[in-house]
Formats: sequence, structure tokens, C-alpha cells
Amino acid sequence: MSKRIWQHPEVPAGETTVAWRSAGQLEDSAAFRGWLEREFPQAAAAMDDDGDAEQSRRSFLKLMGASTALAGFGMAACRRPETYIVPHTKAPEWVIPGKATYYASAMPRAAGATPLVVTTFEGRPTKLGPNTLHPAAAGTDAFAQASVLDLYSPSRSRRVMKSGKPASRADLEAALAAMAADRSAKTGFLFGCDVSPTRMRLIASLKEWFPSARFYQYEPLAGESLRAHGDGVRAVADFTKADRILSLDCDFAGVDPQGAVTPFFDRRKPEGKGYAAGPDAASMNRLYMAESAYSVTGGMADHRLRVTPSQLVLLAGQVARELGIPLAKGIDEVANPTLLEWIGPMIKDLKAHAGKSLVLAGSRQPAAVHHFALAINKALGNVGVGKPLHYRQTEATGLASLQDLVNDIGTSAVTSLVMLTPANPVYDAPADLGFAEALSKLATSIHLGTRTDATAHAATWHVPAAHFLESWSDARAADGTLTVVQPMILPLYPDCVSEFELLLALLSDDGKLVIGGGKDNAPSSAYTAVRDTFATLGGAGDAPWKQFLRDGFLADSAPTVIDPAVAFTAEADIAEANIAAGTAAGTLQVVFATDASVFDGRWIDNAWLQETPDPISKLTWDNAALIAPKTAKELGIYDQLIEPEPVSKVLGVESKYADVGPDGEGLRRTQPMIDVTVNGRTLRLPALVSFGQAENTIIIPLGYGQGFDQDDELGRGPDHEAHVGLVGVNRGFDAYPLRTVDSLYFAGGAKVALVGARYPVALTQEHHAMYGRALAREVSTLADDQKGTFAAQLAKVKKQGNDSHAPPNLYLYKPQGSATWNPGPDGKAQGFLTDELHQWGMSIDLSACMGCTACSVACQAENNIPVVGKREVARGREMHWIRMDRYYAAQKDNTFDADNPAFVPQPVACVHCESAPCETVCPVNATVHTEDGLNAMAYNRCIGTRYCANNCPYKARRFNFFDYNKRNPLIRHNLERGPLGVTSVGEPQHLQRNPNVTVRMRGVMEKCTYCVQRLKDAVIRQKRGQKQEALAAGRPSPELAVTTATLRIPVDSVKTACQEACPADAITFGNLLDGDQSALGRSKHIERNYDLLHYIGTRPRTSYLARVKNPNPAMPDARFVGKSTIHMV
Amino acid sequence: MPNLFPRWTNLLPLKIAVCVGATAAGIALAFSYYATPKALTVGYQPSQPIPFSHKIHVDQLGLDCRYCHSFVEVSGHSNVPTGNTCWNCHQHVQRDSPKLAPLHRSMDPAFPGYDGRPIEWVRIHKSPDYVYFNHAAHVNRGVSCQTCHGDVNRMEVVWQDQPHSMAWCLDCHRAPEKFLRPLEEVYNFGYDPLQYLSENPQLGVKTPEELGLKLKEQFDVKPKESCATCHH
Repeated sequence: MSKRIWQHPEVPAGETTVAWRSAGQLEDSAAFRGWLEREFPQAAAAMDDDGDAEQSRRSFLKLMGASTALAGFGMAACRRPETYIVPHTKAPEWVIPGKATYYASAMPRAAGATPLVVTTFEGRPTKLGPNTLHPAAAGTDAFAQASVLDLYSPSRSRRVMKSGKPASRADLEAALAAMAADRSAKTGFLFGCDVSPTRMRLIASLKEWFPSARFYQYEPLAGESLRAHGDGVRAVADFTKADRILSLDCDFAGVDPQGAVTPFFDRRKPEGKGYAAGPDAASMNRLYMAESAYSVTGGMADHRLRVTPSQLVLLAGQVARELGIPLAKGIDEVANPTLLEWIGPMIKDLKAHAGKSLVLAGSRQPAAVHHFALAINKALGNVGVGKPLHYRQTEATGLASLQDLVNDIGTSAVTSLVMLTPANPVYDAPADLGFAEALSKLATSIHLGTRTDATAHAATWHVPAAHFLESWSDARAADGTLTVVQPMILPLYPDCVSEFELLLALLSDDGKLVIGGGKDNAPSSAYTAVRDTFATLGGAGDAPWKQFLRDGFLADSAPTVIDPAVAFTAEADIAEANIAAGTAAGTLQVVFATDASVFDGRWIDNAWLQETPDPISKLTWDNAALIAPKTAKELGIYDQLIEPEPVSKVLGVESKYADVGPDGEGLRRTQPMIDVTVNGRTLRLPALVSFGQAENTIIIPLGYGQGFDQDDELGRGPDHEAHVGLVGVNRGFDAYPLRTVDSLYFAGGAKVALVGARYPVALTQEHHAMYGRALAREVSTLADDQKGTFAAQLAKVKKQGNDSHAPPNLYLYKPQGSATWNPGPDGKAQGFLTDELHQWGMSIDLSACMGCTACSVACQAENNIPVVGKREVARGREMHWIRMDRYYAAQKDNTFDADNPAFVPQPVACVHCESAPCETVCPVNATVHTEDGLNAMAYNRCIGTRYCANNCPYKARRFNFFDYNKRNPLIRHNLERGPLGVTSVGEPQHLQRNPNVTVRMRGVMEKCTYCVQRLKDAVIRQKRGQKQEALAAGRPSPELAVTTATLRIPVDSVKTACQEACPADAITFGNLLDGDQSALGRSKHIERNYDLLHYIGTRPRTSYLARVKNPNPAMPDARFVGKSTIHMV
Repeated sequence: MPNLFPRWTNLLPLKIAVCVGATAAGIALAFSYYATPKALTVGYQPSQPIPFSHKIHVDQLGLDCRYCHSFVEVSGHSNVPTGNTCWNCHQHVQRDSPKLAPLHRSMDPAFPGYDGRPIEWVRIHKSPDYVYFNHAAHVNRGVSCQTCHGDVNRMEVVWQDQPHSMAWCLDCHRAPEKFLRPLEEVYNFGYDPLQYLSENPQLGVKTPEELGLKLKEQFDVKPKESCATCHH
């Protein structure tokens, strides 16, 4: 059953760190032992037995045989078909067939637009990367990476709908003309929370056109930060200047950005950006984090405090109080001694770095916390130009809230509504606001959106929205810089319209939507509008405009810096601050959390995001309630939560542990359901144990449960089936009905009850579990009795685990030839280094990696990696080339807070071993080494024995158990139907494919290639230089010798997709032969550099840099920080 | 002893042998027709929507390859010319030739059947989806068009001249010196190494073989044989 097991050495004696990936492992359940011992989970290779029994392997083979026979004798299509090359009639400028073109654009978002460079092939946008010229450039997150898939989403809205029925665009234009004609109309306009100068200009025009019009903005999770410090005032954090950071539940590196985050991570590296200097602990910043449950930012914290939402308000007040800020009466003092012990030295540290410290409040915290944070920052002198924090007055002012809109509809101040927000208010508005009822009262409501969601169905008109890659717009980036949003392609479907085109149709007499690309060659009306706005901001004429389009931004265009006043005397603040008092004993506090996969629900139909494991819980395709282990024990549900309960149906009788291995994992992994009752409503959803979470809290991610069909595992459907596509249907549980106007993000007084039911979950935390000693290594800048000073700890990084006494590596490969046979130029055997121009390598800095999984999604976009669906993920067949391992590590002697383990993420992809174990076992030489040091995979040679995956100690290989690319795995039972299944060839998502990467078929192994297509492209481009030299010299070309400098690509000039996407600059890639000139060369030579599983002698090309924690010696938990070296044995 | 087998069975072995033989031959034929890779079909010569003659354009008129295949030096894909490339000349030249009707249909708004749709040229050379071939990497390093596509300048209708099989690729990747040309001769269909050497005596090279070796040395040509060179 199980393969040969490498006997990894025991954990060293005296090791105080306990590390685990899952609760099952912590409790040493049989399940986890099983996962460790196999490269794929139990029964991953077997056919499913329920519902698919008729499609056994045997009958599948029969079908295959029959269809082959038919194909051979009946179908002439097997003969080479005549194919055509269809060139343009009129060649478009810049388009070179076979070469990518790159354009600057941006993704508009409430927290500031993400500046992007879009890769397009023959007009198809295929990949998004950060615009590194942009002053607010900070990589891209998973959402930005995945947004390109939405453009090609098969479930994208394509047709105009009137009252839920298809309508024509002419009907819509007639309706718009009628609206435009009625100048006295009381029309409301509901926008998103992103800032766009053109939008504000059009609002001014709309005010003139419709004098009684009103304007609103709404996104469900935009939070208080948008208005806490004044209308349209946005905070900009400058992490380059912040030596000490206190985050009050602000996930600024994850889903709650406050400004470009890359500089924060640059200062997590003791050697500085690009590893240019020697290690210097003083150059590092220090992050204090107070939060309820782990976020990716919390994982980076040097000191982390677990607090409930009610405690956090008090904590913020306490910090203000101790800094001598006069507080309004009525805010309780913190009484908890643990909190006080933590706060004291932390405040001293902030004070010692006055003017160079930064206090950030989470966007979704109550206004009180924002006011406290501003007061604290002002008291510390942190606010202003050139300081860690400043505020800018954007033009997005005068926009009322959703609540105002509902009131205005109630008073008939608004009788028709145009909804342009990316949110879905019918679904995600607070339950007691009554938005849906208010909407139904309106005679006319127009919804513009990319999905046919709940709001689309509730509105009288639904207009399919153009994707941001199809629209003209402008936006303010996080730092306020004016950024262009330019279209890469005309809308894929003729009915699609962008926001500005719709608004401009309302500002015209005939209501015509001018989207460009027509026969008359008229540009989109949005183009004219954006260009007119730019003329006022960046200058008239072609030259500045072209510069704007080329760079993607207008330099020095951020709006004015203002100095907001502190205001926290409002009664409401005090009431909010004292919500703790309302928490009765025996009840829990609920946190309505932003989800890392669907955000607020808008990404529910994005398959890449759904399949990417949550960075913390490692759950895919669903949401679940998260509960701290101690709380679960108090509630008496801990044992049920950690014990997977495999259930199988044989002959209609359900039996436990039937026909599944001792692991009980895989398809039948289920979690118990609980009932969470809060605000008088009850939600039933599965629960998971979450480490490092505050006791008495329950975290419920929002955005799921938007529609169900008859195949739902819990029989919830059909219900709102039309609101979602194939990806989002039957996914998760909708927590929005629990939210009320007064408890948008937190709610007290929740009750939890275990119900009998269980729900299958696709959890990847134990999939591809590596084992070995000192996998992820961590050191501390703080001197320690046992481990020595920072310098001593750095010097010992390479010797952690058992690498100090590992024997020298034996190289499996013999050099080619010998002194007498086929010798090299020096007369000796030829060495291994066969390419003298390029030898590729990578390093991954764990000190910067926060585990956000942007790399994983970027890899998926670049390398045509398919999604496999929930059932396949449950069986451990996810195809992600980059696996984000997530470990928890606790110190046995932790006396401060034993239930607050460290959070250690570690991305693992193929490490390109020089002595690769996979290569030696391949019977057909399908995986071999290249001259430039890649462990290559020749798909067309692979016969699918999976020996290589079996022999990979890093578990980095993925196998195509089915034809995931060709046959949509989201259609029920489609994969098992083989040739009789529905093929998805020719569907729009295939337009996203990277043309330079083979689309893999069934039965083929695949893994990270170091983006070999990018490397080849760079090398070939460099070779063209020789031709230029020869032509320039004007001599016969044989006289001209080329040099290494001609043929070697410039230092640091090629980036892999993961490296490019990483907002933390944690991944460094380059040519090892560039030596210390390249960031890679420098990173390989610093002391923190170590090889994963060095002692087994694989000589990986990807190495890791140990994580460094920078604790404050005065803090009560300082001794337990920076020791989380992970052993998995 | 009675006759166990009736008389008609006498010929049965022969019949069986004939049947088996015919079936085997049929399978062999079917296999070679259906299942052999067509990338290897030398001589595939489909008729094109416009009987474009490379012989006239290259041999007689002396057009350079890059006039039409304009991106061959910068892109992996050697482009087939767009309609307006043809139209540059043919709006003036041979306007009334009936052979050019498809071009007029796509380019000439005054033409009766004008529809503005592009011309569909029949593809001749096709590498499988799992092969990555880059024209720029070859023509910029001294591999001529002629080496892989044959004497296109003499073709009235283009056919596939070389078997584009992996073994054929490797022949050159293993011994590039046999095929390399000076960079300025890459697009010259009349290239003669001996003549080139006699015109450039300063190179100090006597034979074409020595020239190939010198080019390989000077250009540092080290073609790779590892899988990821073409398969990724």
C-alpha cells in the first residue's frame, strides 16, 4: 500500500518547538500518518464508487476500445485536416503574430487601483503583472491575478435582461432615452467605492442634467475607513518610514491594503532589498498585531495578541489613554492582566520610535478604533508628508451611503435607480436594512454587472458590464496617483457596456450606447470622457496623453495632503467602544470576515480563486466557521471537529469507515455542522478548528451560498440557481443574513450548537504533506541562552535540523566522458555545467513570505494549469504547481500564551534538484535535466507511471488523473464519462491560455518549470543582438565573434510568474552565473540561505532563506518568538 | 473412416490465409494512412485560394523573404502577409487578373463581391502543439529559410520540402556546422559557399566544411538537445 519510507531522523533532543499542519496531526491522528506516507491520497487513483459505479475502469476501457475502433474505421477526420492561416486584412499597429504585447492598465478597487501590465497575445489579454514603474506598485494579489479569468468566464453575463427576461440592446437604449428625457427624474446612482476622477466629473454633469438626482456609494466590506476621517479622505501608509507598526486587526498585507506593501517586506529582510548589505537587525521593522484570528499579516507579526473584537476597541482606547490622549468618559479600561502586560512594553517601543512608527486600524473596525488610531498616530508625530502616514483628500466626496439610499427610496426622494457598484446589494446588504424591498418599490432600476446575480434579477433592467480589461476608465491608486484603465480588447459580447458608457448614454438625448469598434470608427464615449478628464489633470494634447497610456499613470498627480482632525467624542463611538459590555457570559462574538477566495462574494464564479486554498484554513470551494480549539473544547465539540468521519454508502446502507483507508481522508472527509445563532437568525454551516484564534470568537467568512441546484450536497437547491454559474453553484454558506446595520462586521451574543449533520469539505492542509527535519527555519534577532546572538543564530541556519552532521553529498551523475574518451576542452572529463551562459536558480525568502497564495494563482494563469473541482481536490488531485504549506508551531514552554502558535507559511514547488530523484526512476526519460539546470518535463513522452511523483521528496509533482483541460470537471460526473463527457474545447476560457505553454492532457505528469517559456523567450531575444552587431559592423559576419556578454541575458532581466506577482518580493530568480551582480547570486551567499532537505543530497536549485523575527526584548512573549523551525517527522 | 470434413473445407485454409492476409494488409494500410504523423509528409502541396507563385515573386522579381514574412526575425512565428501587404502592389499591378479575385474580395471596396474577410491560406508546415519552434532563434543565428523550406524560390505552388520530424531537427542540432551560413546569406536562395569564400579570402577558410566550423565557433552556436528546448 504505502511506498518505501525514508526514515527521517528524529526530532533533536531538547527541541522546544512543536509544529503541525492540521489538528489531526497535532493530535497524531491516523489520518495524518496516512497522508505522510503517500504522494497522493488514498484512493486518489481509484474510481469513485457512489454514483459512478456504472463507469468503472473496466467499462471505461470497453468504451475506449469501442470508440477507438469507430474512430479508426469510420471517421476520416483522423486524416490530417486542412487547416488555415488567416492573416489580418489590415495589419493592426504593434501586433506581431507570436509575440506578446504589453499594455499598462489598472484594476479599480476600493482600496486603491492595482497598477498592472497586461500581457496580450494577438489581442487576447492572458496574464496580468504589476506595473513596476508605478509609484504605488506592490506586486499583485490573488484577486488581481485571477481577474483575467473573469473576462473569459463562461457564466459571465452576456445579454441585456428586462425583469429577468432577455431583451435587446435597442430596448435598453429606448429606456435610457426615456430616462434621459425626463430631466426632473428623481434618479439615484449607486457607485462602487473606488475613486475615479472621470466618474466624479460625470456626476457633476449628471447633477446638471438631472437636478434632483442623488449619488451613493456602496461596497459591503469597504468599512469605516472610507469616511472615518472625513468625506473622501483616504489614508496612505508609507512602510519605508515605519520602524514600528501596531496593527489593530488590520490585514494590510492581505485583504485590507493601506498603501503599497512591498516596502514593509523589504524591511523584513535583515540584508535589505535585493540582499545588498550585510545582515543588520536594526534595519528591520517590528510588527505588533492584535487580531481575533490569524490573517496573513498576523503571521508576519513579531508580537501577536489574540483579542476578541470587543477587547480590541478597549485595547485601542487603552493605548490612547497611556499616551496621555484625553478620552471621552465611558470607555472602559483594559482590566485583563495579559493584555496590560503586552500593551506596556509595546507602547514604550512606539514612543521610542515616535515619528517613525505607525498604528493602523482595520478598515472594518468601528469608527471609534479609527479615531483612536488617528489620535495615537498624531500623538506620536507619525502623520504628515514624509512621515509613515498621511491623508489625502480625494475627489470622491458627496456620496451618500446605502442606508441613505434606502431612506430616500422610503421618502420617494429617489424613484429610479442606476446601480453601478461591483457589489451585489440585494444579496450582501445588511439583513435588516430592507434593500430588496426598497428596490422592488422602484419603477425603474438598472443594474450594471458582470454576473447575473441576485441584484441583476431583482432590478428591472440588467445590463451586462464590460470587464475592466474591456473598458476605458481612470482610477486613483492606493497613494492617490492617477492611473489609467485602458481596454485590451473590445467587449467579448456585443451587449456589454462599461459604467461610463452607460452614464454617458443617460447624458445624451437619444440614449445611444457608444462602445467603440463600430463601422463608423467612432471611439467609445468613455474614451472621450477619460481623455477629457485627463486634459484637465495632466495637460491637453497628444504627448502627455500618450505618456499616460504608455506609463499607465500620471506622475505626481496624487491629490492634496490634508491633516484630518481627531474626533472621538461622539456618543456613537462610546456606544461602539463598549460593545464588550453587551457580551453575555456563555455567548460568542462573531466576526464576519472578508474571504480570501471570494472577497465579499463578487468572485464566487472565479474557479481559480475558489480552488486556491484559503491561506489560513486551507479550505477550498467552501467557507466554514472557525473556532479556537479551547472554545471548541468548552463547547464540547472539539473531538468531533478534528476527527474526520468517513462514511460510505454500500447498497444504500451508510457505514462508517467502509472501504476507505485508515486515513479517512479524501472524498469522504466531512466536518460536523453547527448552528450559529446571532441577531435572532441562525446559520447552519460546517466548523473547523482554527489555531491562534481568540477564545470565544467565531469567524464566518462572507460571500458564499449565492445559489444552489439539484445536485447540492445538502439538498438546498434548486434555489437561486440562475444567480451563479457552474463554479459558484452550491458553494458554501451565506452569512450575510446574520448581519444587521448595527453589527456589520462583528456581532456579540452568538450561540453555537452542534447538529447531527456533516458536510464534505475539500481541505488541502494535509495534502502533499512533506516530512523531514528543519523544513522551514526561523531565527530571532534576540540573543538567547541556548541559541546565542543573532549573528550566531544566522551562522547556524545552514546547520539546523541534522544538516550539521549530514555526510557530504554523493553526486548521482557521473561527469560525461573521461580523460581518454570524449574529454572536455581541458582534457579531463566534462563537468556538469554544460551551459556556460545560463544556470537558473531561485531563492524564496521565508522572512518575506506571508503565504497569501498570489504566486499560486499567477502560476495557474501563466502555465495553463487547470482547475479540478471540489471532489477532485478532496481526493488530493489539485494541480497547483506551487503548494503553499502552512505550519503552526508552538513553544512547549510558552508561559505567556500557549494557544498562540506561530504561523509559518512555506511555498513549495519543484526545487529543480541537480540530483533529481524523479529523473532516475522515469522509465521513458520523460523527465530529464537540461543544460541550464532545469528539471524538464517532456509531456509528450510521459506515459503516466507516476514513479517520479512517488520518488519526489518534496511532493512537487502533479498528475492529470483526467483530462481536466478538455473536459470541464465542474459538470457532475463529466470526468468519469471519458469520451462521452462534455468537452469544453472552444469555450471562452480557452482564450486565456498562454500560447507558449503546452496544454496537458490526461495521464501526464506536470510540475513547476521555472516558467521555461519565459526563459527561452529571454534567451532567444538576447540572441538577436548578435545579428544587430554584425549588421552594424558592416563586415562579413564570420569575422565577428560573439561574447558571453552578447549572448547572456542582462542581470535580473527575466522574472518568473510567481516572482513577478509576489507583493513581498519573497521570490528571487536569476542566472547563477551572474554571481553577486544579481539579487539571486547575493541571496545564495547569505547565511540565511539553506536547501530544503539538504541532507538527502538532492542539490536543489531553489533554496530557502530562513525567517527572521525581530522581537522586542521587553515583551512578555519575546523569548518564544523566532524559534519556529519546523520538523515534520 | 467417414469423411470428417466435407469437401468444401479443402480450400478453407487457403481462404483463411487470404482473409488474414487481406486483413493484415488493410490494418497496415489503415495504420500508415491514419496514424503516422503528417508532420513528416514531404511533398504535401495543397492548392491555395490564390495561386501565389513564389517563383515569380522571389526568383523573377527578387523580393526578399522579409518583405512579406516581415516578422520572421523578431517573432517565433513567421507571419503570413496580411492582405494590405499584397494590396500595396496589387492595387496597381495585375489589377484585372481573375486569380486575384480573393484578394479584391477582402481588400477592394469597389470590387463587386467585396466582403472584407481575410484570405484563408492553407497551412502546409505544422508542428504539433507540444513543440515550440522559434523562427527568430534560427534565422538570426545563421540558419537559412532554404535549409528547412527548400528552394521556395523555384516553387510555383509551395510544398513541404523536408520532413519536420524530431530526428530531422536533431540532425542539425547535433551538427549545426553542416547547415550554418554567414548571417548576410540567410535569405539568399542562390547562396554558394564556395563563391562566398572566394569573395571573402580574408576569412582564411578554404572549404565549406571549414566555414561551417568557423561560423559555429565565431557565433558560439551550441544548439541544445535537451527536451525543454522545444517541449514546454
